[in-house]
Amino acid sequence: MNLFRSEEHITRWLDGRPPGVTIPVRTLAALAEAWWSDRLSSAWRPRTAAESQAILERLGLTGAFWRLPGT
Amino acid sequence: MDAVDLSLRNTTYALFVRLGRGPTAAEVAAETGTTTTAVQEVWERLHEEHAIVLGPEGEIRMANPFSAVPTPHRVEAAGRSWYANCAWDAFGICAALDADGRIATSCLDCGERLRVEVRDGRPDDDSLVFHSLVDAGHWWDDIVFT
Repeated sequence: MNLFRSEEHITRWLDGRPPGVTIPVRTLAALAEAWWSDRLSSAWRPRTAAESQAILERLGLTGAFWRLPGT
Repeated sequence: MDAVDLSLRNTTYALFVRLGRGPTAAEVAAETGTTTTAVQEVWERLHEEHAIVLGPEGEIRMANPFSAVPTPHRVEAAGRSWYANCAWDAFGICAALDADGRIATSCLDCGERLRVEVRDGRPDDDSLVFHSLVDAGHWWDDIVFT
């Protein structure tokens, strides 16, 4: 799970390997905010798989690649 | 997760933030007034529940998004710095701290140093892209690789 300068850099880095999924850094930042913002709260509780899946879906991260186990 | 485990988990995270590194079981024991053995038992349960990740000696390896070992993803925020497990987690540290910050990482292809300023949860460079090789169904198969 890394940042790259551009999609061309990802293609070169993959060197023929099957790709995963690429998203813009702004989407990544929004995902991080939704996923981690409660992590240091004293009210933190483990999320259910369905709750985590809902975060992904709200950001448009749908499809088989983004399907969590147990959802 | 019961109240005891939750409390010790919160203390582990708080110490991670305060120390800028993964706390030892002895440090958490001292903070909570318990024993290292008791801490280690709770940590094992938290590890099984994916609430933390332990290393081979039972030490803290990850308290996501924080990494207890050096990585290519360094985050400065609120006058401190921490290692993140991946690029996603680097943004996650700013989110968890509810603070602006600076991420220092590099393009995995060309090695160019990338410095991203995070303000109000947003990066200052929209040209960058993020790639995940591993699909969500397999993130925890090998979380260190993921």
